[in-house]
Order: sequence, then structure tokens, then C-alpha cells
Amino acid sequence: MASDPQSTANQRIVEDLVSRLRRRQLVGSRATALETLLVLRQVVSKARFSNIDQLVNVIRIVGRRLVEAQPKEHSVGNTVRKVLHHIREEYHTASERPTVQSSFSIAKFVLQGQPRKQTPIPRSETRVPLKENDPDDPDSFARVLKPVLMEAIQDVFDELETVYDNISKNAKDHIHSDEIILTLGMSRTVQSFLKSAAHYRNYTVIVAETAPSYGGREMAASLSSAGISTFLVPDSSIYALMSRVNKVILGAHAILANGGMFATSGSLLAATAARSYSTPVVVCAGQFKLTPLWNLYHEYGALDFGDPSAVLGFEEGDLVDKVDVVNPYYDYVRPELLDVFITNYGDHPPSSIYRLLKETYDDEDNEL
Amino acid sequence: MAPKSTAGNEKLLDDQAEVLQAVILADSFNKRFRPLTTRKPRCLLPICNAPLLDWTLESLALAGVQEIFVICRSHPEQIKAKIAESRWSKPGSGIKIVPILTAKETFSPGDAMRDIYTRGLVTGDFVLVMGDLVSNIRIDEVVKVHKERRKTNKDAIMTMVVKESGAKHRTRSKADSAVFVLDSETSECLHFESMMGYPPSTMASIPREILATHPDVEIRNDFIDCSIDICSVEVPSLFQDNFDYLDIRRDFVHGVLTSDLLMKNIYCYVAKEGYAARVQDTKSYESISKDILSRWTFPLVPDNNHPAGHLYEHIRGNKYIDKDGTVILARTSTVGNKCLIGSSTRVSDNAQIISSVVGRDCFIGAGAIIDNSYIFSGTRIGPGCVIERSIIGYNVDIKENTRIDRGSLVGDGVIIGPNAHLKAFGRLSKKRETKTTGDESEADEYADSEEEEVESAQDSITVDLGTASNAIVWPPNAPDEDEDSEDVENVKNQRFMRLGDSASDLAFSDPGSESSGEESESSEEDSDFDKHVDNLPTSSATSLSLDPNDSSTDAIAESEFRNEVKLSLERAFAEGHSVDNAAVELKTLRMASNVPLSRVRESVVSAIVERIKIIDGGGVTQRQEIANVVSRWGPLINKIGGVDMVETVTALQAHCASSERLPLFGQILAALYQNDIIEEDDIREWHQAATSQGLGLSPSVRTDNIKKCWEIGSRMIQQFDEQSDDSENESGEEEGGTEDEDEEGGEESDSSADEDDEEEDEEDE
Repeated sequence: MASDPQSTANQRIVEDLVSRLRRRQLVGSRATALETLLVLRQVVSKARFSNIDQLVNVIRIVGRRLVEAQPKEHSVGNTVRKVLHHIREEYHTASERPTVQSSFSIAKFVLQGQPRKQTPIPRSETRVPLKENDPDDPDSFARVLKPVLMEAIQDVFDELETVYDNISKNAKDHIHSDEIILTLGMSRTVQSFLKSAAHYRNYTVIVAETAPSYGGREMAASLSSAGISTFLVPDSSIYALMSRVNKVILGAHAILANGGMFATSGSLLAATAARSYSTPVVVCAGQFKLTPLWNLYHEYGALDFGDPSAVLGFEEGDLVDKVDVVNPYYDYVRPELLDVFITNYGDHPPSSIYRLLKETYDDEDNEL
Repeated sequence: MAPKSTAGNEKLLDDQAEVLQAVILADSFNKRFRPLTTRKPRCLLPICNAPLLDWTLESLALAGVQEIFVICRSHPEQIKAKIAESRWSKPGSGIKIVPILTAKETFSPGDAMRDIYTRGLVTGDFVLVMGDLVSNIRIDEVVKVHKERRKTNKDAIMTMVVKESGAKHRTRSKADSAVFVLDSETSECLHFESMMGYPPSTMASIPREILATHPDVEIRNDFIDCSIDICSVEVPSLFQDNFDYLDIRRDFVHGVLTSDLLMKNIYCYVAKEGYAARVQDTKSYESISKDILSRWTFPLVPDNNHPAGHLYEHIRGNKYIDKDGTVILARTSTVGNKCLIGSSTRVSDNAQIISSVVGRDCFIGAGAIIDNSYIFSGTRIGPGCVIERSIIGYNVDIKENTRIDRGSLVGDGVIIGPNAHLKAFGRLSKKRETKTTGDESEADEYADSEEEEVESAQDSITVDLGTASNAIVWPPNAPDEDEDSEDVENVKNQRFMRLGDSASDLAFSDPGSESSGEESESSEEDSDFDKHVDNLPTSSATSLSLDPNDSSTDAIAESEFRNEVKLSLERAFAEGHSVDNAAVELKTLRMASNVPLSRVRESVVSAIVERIKIIDGGGVTQRQEIANVVSRWGPLINKIGGVDMVETVTALQAHCASSERLPLFGQILAALYQNDIIEEDDIREWHQAATSQGLGLSPSVRTDNIKKCWEIGSRMIQQFDEQSDDSENESGEEEGGTEDEDEEGGEESDSSADEDDEEEDEEDE
């Protein structure tokens, strides 16, 4: 497939994204997910294949390249998995294999207890017989399937576009009047969640500064400009204030298979403090952050360490030589410390994340 | 989505309009890494397992550079091959890299710049970096700032990127640093003075004009000079014009800033964020390796964006182990913090690796200790070896129980041991195989010339390197007799660049650097500061004067200069040059011999006075002659680069006093006055000065003459006084009339110098 003439064009856009990921010119889960999706769409539209395995293979090659470029940005892999899942689904629908379909849905039924709104929309309007590996016309398979695939990718795209709205539409059910909410860091998801709740409720938000990125300052400014009564506090006072807090709302960098999460440094501090006061911890995250991974490396960290200059200035010449500075981007928060995940697919306790994962991705894609 | 993204790209291109170019000088122009660099250029030395050139290219790619010229001198074919096989040459990299081979005679960055000029490589503003840069600074932002500035100021030809660091930062070179004087507001670099570790510099002389013209200056000695320069297209041509510029900083920047001919400005960009440093010597090799491993260069770190494309797993404590799973670490081995281990490397039982970088395919024997060392790929280290703060080249075989002390450099392919002991700062390279000279490439010949020398000196050195050794020992740097201690490459200064050498015996702490900055700042109000500094006796213990105003050579230079001026003016007189041209010539002369302005003035005044022919009998013809000469050449006096009329009169007086043209003093003075070269007030001021009255001089003919001149001056002033009374009285008179009278007054005062003259004058009228 790589020798294909069209694939050079593909390669260029893939390499472009790879280098931006490597150089960290592209950061943020949603932004990377969107960019990945754009690349995958391009790849699928240019790819030549005569059966489903070839197509899956093409996507996997690209996906692996992108994931290797930035293994710490989990949403890249998640998006690839999601696209693969959708493609298979579309393929099964198109090829009308009742056996696969039925066994699939039964398994789901058992697993879920109750089927979600996953019932595929019948697309019977232009049903052309799908023929794999046609020796006379090798492109026929692709020709038939491609429009459907593009539609599937567009669905994923739309989902990403509307993720904030979908998450925050239930905000008023989680935040009640006169509550005091603690949050930290700058998370677009949490920001829109809180703002949307502010339409219905009158409540107070305490924002921790979240050193060393100080995203909390930006968050506080944004919330208070939306008319929410906001306090900005140093990270050190999180525990002291916790007794008065009704709810902790956090953003996530990645939701892990065991129901734990990677979240901006400081989240563990807040979650632990909340636990000791039995304050509920709510995590707002898009479904694209669901990651079929476990935290294998560090008990508390996420193996993503940034630049020490945010903590210790490079101009402190004497110290630079003698002190090793560790600046982790993310904390690992254990599932026991979390109470609920609010995603665009509804609300889930940490214990059912594994199920959500199974629903969202195909098992064979866990390792790309 | 394809159409949208390409449309976006096109738009981006339209915005930028032109391709951002960069020039990498991929040659070090020095030999600090010898013998590691005998068979390979420095920019291909690996740092954290990726060639330096890749780090540089990645730094530039980060800045969105689209076209890169790599200027290579030594071993160009290796650099070419490296670039061809690197990922940059693949489609989709978006960067065009052109290796440029420059002549063997290119001995300095200045030569390389001249080569760039003659080849016409650059078409617009470009980024100039060295081939040993490690940086994550957003150079594109600097370029933006530079271009913005160019829009308003066409003379802003260059922006230097500097990084703040403490004065004692490990990454800041002590041996080759600099004092920057910046305007706090515009960050224009006003003055640049390079500093050395040895002899230690304790003083920086800052020209007085800078303090006078800029209300806020910063004097900084805590910058890491990253050698990232955003240059305008005229920079290479300036190198072409000034063929004596060798170093970009010491010659070019200093030259441009001190020149009052070029009228160009250089700016600094003080990078607050980001990291940039150059691997310019073995010491900085170590500190930059450590900076990379401690992630200061983020996102350019081994586990994230390794320039050679290796994938490393980052483990707590800044340990990096290759991800492909081929690294074998024995259970009992220890890998300390800040280590990097390349793929397929085996570490045996009880081996210890402490803050070190180990390349690919290495073998570390049982019980070996590797402490703060840098081991390139393919090297085998036998059991029980101890390696301390050293750099070990490719495919080296260190047999069992060998000890290598700090600061050693072991060249590629060397075999040492068993049971050998290499003392601190030892340098080894592999014995050359005897080759037929025919197939040796030119590059080899060049590189080998020094090796041959080393080889021939082998008999005198006896070091036990073990029975199986194939190594030759490089002698320690002996001080050359002809070594110029002003040169950065002097032996003692080099010790500041050496890996593992604290150079503490050179009794150097950096106290001067900080205090001198403050000192000079506090003297801001003291307008005599500059002179004051210049006049200080410069004993070598207290000061390294970079201002060459003080030795006996200057006397020679000065007399040479006078002579030159005389010749130049004679030529101008003879060939009838315009005053402007003559002035430019004089300025150039002044630059070349670096003499103060007053000397030029003296020389010019005396040359003009000598130009006036003495006409026997004086009278009208004499006066005519004076008027001719002064009106033709007088304006030159005020065009040599500064106007100081009082000094002009003093110079005239001094010259006339010791010349046969003494009788003409008054007339010349008057002629100068008429031609507006000097003004009344200046004559008065001169007249007041003690020196012009000849006070305090030992009595001699000259003193008498000086006094005579002064008296003439007094008479002239009397006339002025009378005139001013007159003109007050006859305020209604026509302008022409006053002029006439002026003339007359002048003449009268002249004539009083010489009675004959006076008489004839009167007859004349």
C-alpha cells in the first residue's frame, strides 16, 4: 500500500501532523483528536483497497505512526480506534452479515444490560451489492463503501464538534443553587459545563491557581466574566477550603480503562482532599478521552514530564547544576477517588468505564 | 478535507511572501574536540545519541525555516551523506536542505560569510546559526520582531538571540563570553565586548557617547550567546567589504558597533523562554547533555522529539532507555538518574552507570563504573573498567580493568588495555593504517597533518596503554611561543572549555564580571569615565584592556597614521578630490589605525596649513592664496567625523607655533572664521583656555610662538568686541556692509601678526 502513488500525498499530510505532534506545536486532547480525524479522512478518501482488511491496515499504519509520534497524547490513538470501530460497523451493515450483526448485538445486550441508542440507522435506499476482492473491478469495493465511510467519519467529527454542548446540557442536574464548586486548571469542558449551569443556578466557584501552568487564573477570569461568582485561591489552600466545598468538578486528560484518569497536576491533591471530606468528585470529559490503557508506570504521575523552567528559572545558574527538577504535566487519579464521569454519552461511574470502552472501540484495536 | 488544508497553506505562504532561509555554519573552525574530530566533522558528533547537526536542523524546523544552506568545510562528503539519508530529505519534511562545500581556505566564520556572499545564496533576511546548536527557542518570533523593526529602521541589520542565565551557569562558557550593553527600551545592542576566562577580564570600557545618548542602558554579563543571528541580506556583503572580519562576534559585531562609518544597528533579543546553547567545547558538551537529559530543551527531549528519530522510554529520575526492548540491563546493574541508554546495549552484572549517555550496541562489562561519561555507539567496555567524566568515541574497545580519568577523550576505534590507566585529560586516537597516498582524499590529508605530527612525537611519550592497544597519545596542549594571549584559543583559556577541568588553579572566580557592570553603571553620570578608564595604567593583573590605546605600538601606529593622512591629503589636493570624498578617506584611515578624532583633526589642520604656499613678499597674493586654500579645503576640518572648533583653533595654534608658517596664523584664523569653519565664540573659548596662552609650558621658542599666536587671537577678539559695539550702533546697516567690516576686522587682526603684512594690507586698501 505504501508504494501507491496516491499515498505520497497521504504521507505528506501524515508527516506534517507527526512533526507537529512531536514538536508539541499541537496540544490539547480535542485539538489533536480533530486533527487526527482530518488526516484519517484524507487517508481514507485517497486510499485504494479492495477488501476491508486492506482498508483497516492502511488506517492502522497511519494510526501507529501518529501514536508513536506522540504516545502521550492519548486522544490520537482513541480517535483512530473510534474510526476503525465505525468503519467496521458500516462495513457490517453494508455487507449485511446477519450472523455477525446478531452475535454482536447479543453480546452487547448482555454486557450493557440495556441497549443504548446504538441501533444502526437503516441505510437501505441505495443498496448496491458489496463485492470484495472483485478481480474484474478491484475498485468497486472502495467505490461502494467510501461514501458510507466518509459519512461515518463525519459522524465522529460532528461528535467532536458538539462535545462541549453535549456534556454541558445536563449541567443543571449536577449543580444546585447556592453550592460551592471547586475546580482547577483550565479545561474547556469544565468551563462550558459551569457556564451552562450558570444559566439556571446561582452558585459559587473556587478555582485553584494550578501551578506551574497557572491555568486556573485563566479559568477564573473566564468564569467571572460569565457572571459566576468566582474565587481564585492558591493550590496550597485546597485542603483548607475543602470543608466548605459541596462538589469538586475536574477535567481529564485521559480516562483510563480501570476508571482512573490522568488529569492536570494538582488534581490528585484536590481529589484526595475531597475524599477525606467525602466531597463528591465529578469529572467532565468528552468520550474521545476514553483510553483503553492502564497506568503502568508511576503510582501518581502520568509519565509526561514537561520543561523544568516553569518551576525553576534557567537563569538560576547555581541551582540548575545541583537540583533535578521534575515537572509532571498530569497526575494519575485512582478510580476510588472519583465518583462520576460526565461524558457526552451520559453519566457513568468509574466502575463501568470498561464497559463504555468495549462499546466504543473494538478489542482488536487496543494495541494499534 | 484536503482542499481546505491546502488552501490554508497557500494563504500562509501568501502571508509570509518569502521563504525563510537559514544558513548553518557546519564547521567549528577550531580544534577543541580533537581527536574525536579527526575523521569526522564536529557537527556529526552525537549528543544524546543524535548528531549535533540533527539537533540544529530540528531547532530550525521548529522555527518554520523552509530552506537551509549547510556550509561545510571539513569532511563535507560525510555531512552530505548524512543529510541525504536523514529524514529531512524525505518528501513531506517541508524543508529543503542544500549542502554547500566551501573551500579549504575558509578558516573562519568570516570567510564562510564571504563565501555566502560570492555565491549569492541568500535573498532576504535569514537565520544564521552554527552547526552545533541545541535550541527550542521560537526563532520565528525573533524573525518577526526583526522584520517588524526593519520596516521602520533599514539600518537594523542583525538581531542576536541571547539567553539569560546566571553568571555562573554551567552552560555559559567562561572562556568565551561577552559583555553586552543594551538600550533597555529598544534592546539595541550599543556595545559589545568579548571576555575570556584567561587572562581574566575585569574591566569593560564603554564609550562615553553611549551613556550620553541613551538614558537607560543595561550592562549585561549574564547572557548565553546562542549564536542565533537573524541577519539581513547586507550582512554577508559587509563581510565582503571588510575582509579582515574573522569572527562574527569579536570582529563583525564589535566592528559594526564601533564604526561611525557604517551607521548600522544591531539588536539583541533576550529570550525569556526557551533554551539555546552551543556545543562549542567539551565542557559545554557535558553541560548541554545534562540540560537535555534534565529536559530543559523540552519538547526537544529524547522521549518526545529525538532528532535522530530514536524512541526512548522516559522513566522517573530522567532515565531514558530505548523503547524497542533490545536493551538488556542485568538485574544487579544500576542505572542512576539522568542516564540515556541506546538500543541493543547490554549492561552486565554489577555495572554502574551514573549520569551518563551510552550509545547503541554498546557492551558494558561486569562491575564497570561509568560516571558522567559519554560513550558513543558500538563501544565495548570490559569488566572492571572505571570511566570518569570522559568522552569515548565510536567502536572503542576498552579491555578489562582499565581506568580512564576525568577529562579524557578517546577517538574512534581505539583499543586500550587490559589494565591500562589513562591519566586525566589524556587524549587518544587510533594509529593510522599505512595507506597508499594515492587514494587518500583531500579531506583526509588535511585532517591527518596534525595526526602525523602527533605520531612523530610518540617516541617521547611513554604511557602504558596495555598490550593490545592500537592507540597513539596526543600530547597535552603545550603553550606555543608565538601564542597570542589575546586569542581565545590560548592554552590557559582553553582549560575553561575542557571537560572535567574546574580550572580552579587559574585563580579565577568571576567577581569582576558582575561588579564591573555595576561599577560602570554607577559612573554613568561621570562624563569623563571613558577617558578615565583609558588613562588607567593597564597592568595585566588588574585589567585586560581590549582598547589598544596604551602600548608603544600605538606611537608607531600614530606616526604611521600621520604619514598616511598626509599622503592621502596630498593626493586629494593634487587630484582635486571633493571634500566629501577626502573626508570618507580620512574616516576609513582613522578606523584602520584606530586613533582618536583629535589626532585626525591635528593632522588635517597641519596638512592644510602646509598646503598654503608661502609667497615671498606676502601681501595680496599671500592673502589670496590663504583664502583659496581655506575656502577649498577648510570645510574638511569639520567633516572628519565630529565638530570641535575650539580644538581646531588649538591645533592650528600648535601647528603654527612649530612651523615656518607662524606669520600666517592670524590670516588663516581669519580665513577660517570667514568660511564659517570656526565661530567667534570658539575663538573666545580658545582664548580663555590656559593651554592656548602657553601657560605652564617650559620656556622655549615654541612656547614663545604659542604666546605670539595667543596675542594675535587677543587682538582678533578685541576687534570682535569693537565690531559688536559697531554693529549695535549701526544696527540699521545693510548686511553686505557688516560682512565687509568683518572681513576688514579679520584682516587687521591678521596683519598685526606681522608688521610687514600690515603695511602691505593697508597699502592694498
